[in-house]
Amino acid sequence: MILLENLLSFLTAIGDFLTPTALFHVAWSTGLGIIIGALPGLTATMGVALMTTLTYKLAPDLAVLILICMYVGAIYGGSRTAILLNIPGTPANAATTLDGNPLARQGLAGKAMGIATSGSVLGSIIGMFFLATLAPLLGNYALKFQSYEFFWLAIFGIVISGHLTALDDPLKGWIAGFLGLTVAMVGQEGIHAYQRFTYGTTELLGGFALIPAMVGAFGFAEVLTVMRNPAAEVINAARDSVIPKLGEVFRYWRTIIRSGIIGTGVGIIPGVGEDIGAWVSYAAARRKSKERHLFGKGSIEGLMAAECGNNAAVPGALIPVLTLAIPGSAPAAVLLAAMFIHGVRPGPMIMIENPHFVYQVVAMVFFATLAMLVFGLSMTRPLLKVLSVPRERLMPIVFVLCVIGSYAIAERPFDVGVMIAFGIGGYILREMKYPMAPLVLGIILGDILDKSLRRGLVLSDGDLTPFFTRPICAVLFLITLSSVLMSIPAFRRLVGRVVGAVLPGRASREGN
Amino acid sequence: MKPDTITKADLITGLVLLVFSLTLIEEAWRMPRLEQLGVHPSSVPGLVPGMLGVILLILGAVLTVRSVRRGGHHLGITRENTARTFRQPGNLRLIVTLVLCIGYAAFMIGNMPYWLATGIFTFLFIALFEWNPGADRRTRVRGLTLAAVIAVLVAGVVTWVFANLFLVTLP
Repeated sequence: MILLENLLSFLTAIGDFLTPTALFHVAWSTGLGIIIGALPGLTATMGVALMTTLTYKLAPDLAVLILICMYVGAIYGGSRTAILLNIPGTPANAATTLDGNPLARQGLAGKAMGIATSGSVLGSIIGMFFLATLAPLLGNYALKFQSYEFFWLAIFGIVISGHLTALDDPLKGWIAGFLGLTVAMVGQEGIHAYQRFTYGTTELLGGFALIPAMVGAFGFAEVLTVMRNPAAEVINAARDSVIPKLGEVFRYWRTIIRSGIIGTGVGIIPGVGEDIGAWVSYAAARRKSKERHLFGKGSIEGLMAAECGNNAAVPGALIPVLTLAIPGSAPAAVLLAAMFIHGVRPGPMIMIENPHFVYQVVAMVFFATLAMLVFGLSMTRPLLKVLSVPRERLMPIVFVLCVIGSYAIAERPFDVGVMIAFGIGGYILREMKYPMAPLVLGIILGDILDKSLRRGLVLSDGDLTPFFTRPICAVLFLITLSSVLMSIPAFRRLVGRVVGAVLPGRASREGN
Repeated sequence: MKPDTITKADLITGLVLLVFSLTLIEEAWRMPRLEQLGVHPSSVPGLVPGMLGVILLILGAVLTVRSVRRGGHHLGITRENTARTFRQPGNLRLIVTLVLCIGYAAFMIGNMPYWLATGIFTFLFIALFEWNPGADRRTRVRGLTLAAVIAVLVAGVVTWVFANLFLVTLP
């Protein structure tokens, strides 16, 4: 019954966008998203941030439609570069290079692109299904959240995002996340209207504007990275067909469903996103595969899992955006900021105040997926041409857009300075291997953390007990704590010894 | 960055974080408690910045200690090393990009018409990075002409779109 209601709401939302204007916006924004994703150095986050500055005068539903199409298109577009150049077009396509490029080197670039397209489309559809079914449920459940839960959700988001986006060095992920939270402390605080760290600057009263900061951290920083690195090597031309054989695709239906579910699940975790969605899906597919030996050498299944996982993470990342106003990934963080600019207020109240918008977002993902399929199977040659544009001609245009885009939203030269500062800071942090996603998440969650902790303490009259005894709080606290403890080598060794003593058989098996 | 360079950079970042977090704690401590307004002591404005300062202090200390343990304190900064770093082609490209971008955003815009600043920046960027002293005169002239055409197009289209379509008062 609920599913039927969901379906009807979804169909109504589809109808909202069946207009020539909306379809025109779907076509160009998804196409541009694919191009941005395919160009090395230009990422989905940068695309969504720059596009926010270009669409702020449009009606909210059309602006969000364009941004979602850009997001979906960019995550898919990066697979082209991964296959043809062995460079992930966006970080989300890193796992795609492992099998995509070996296939291209075997003269099967067309086949690889076809598989990547079908994997992305199917991943997106699975993610869309969960977005349509889980978002309303989670939205209703989120109504139970009070300040105590939101406090832990903010800390949990930073710690888990910091851990998963910097698996080799979680310390740097956490530093990035807590620096992001600190950045969010600048400006007038939301309870007593006290001006923190503004030093008499009126421009800082509202804190650092998120869009100029993101345009800097993901646009200007990427211009610097691209110009510093050596130019990309010559592209392998695709000579075989990009239209995949259905039998070849659906032979891996188990991998598709598994990767779709994993990608969506990873997308839901705050600030983790598409790249981790692809890696976890790839690792799971490899573990379960009968063709494990082919992974890394041109496995269709591996390529399918990676692309399915990253595109499923896009609708997954939108679930917490809509229901908790907490982004599941860096591009989703920018999207959330764009929604606020357009007066759409996502969060726990959305299923009461604006339930139709949730289904409109599902419909937007649906149209973006359709456009991705059409362009993915038809835009092979134009994309090859775009990939051959020298960076020396492309990067000044990107920077010109970074400057005017940061300025245009509020028409303040100060925001151009913010963009430059975040660009240089973001570049330095990235060079030192600090992940950007926790930093972005921190900037978004800072306000929630600040208000929730202080409100919670006022409600409990300074008593910390409810922060640990309420069921959801206890779960979030325990996960956060175990994530921190398990990253300490001495504690991990101790746990290993305890497990070894309690389960000697298992320990010896693992030892083998 | 190479792993050993990152270890050295970690030491500097760790020390910067220690100074930053101590400043943050000090500033948070000095923030008003608003007792005269009858504000609950748990809702004072400095609470969360102070908490973040303490967390960053711990993280900065761990980063610093870890870097020292890995030999990050052997910074090896010599005149020769510094000169070699600046001579690397990637770093030279980075410096030129930074100078051009900051020059455009901070100095050119606002001091001349937007379209002119954008045109000059785009032309200089393309011309400088595509300049090949070894090429014959004809190739160089063709390169400069192409840079000029792109610059005129970018300056014209961006100025027109933002001024007329988005109705932005250009800087």
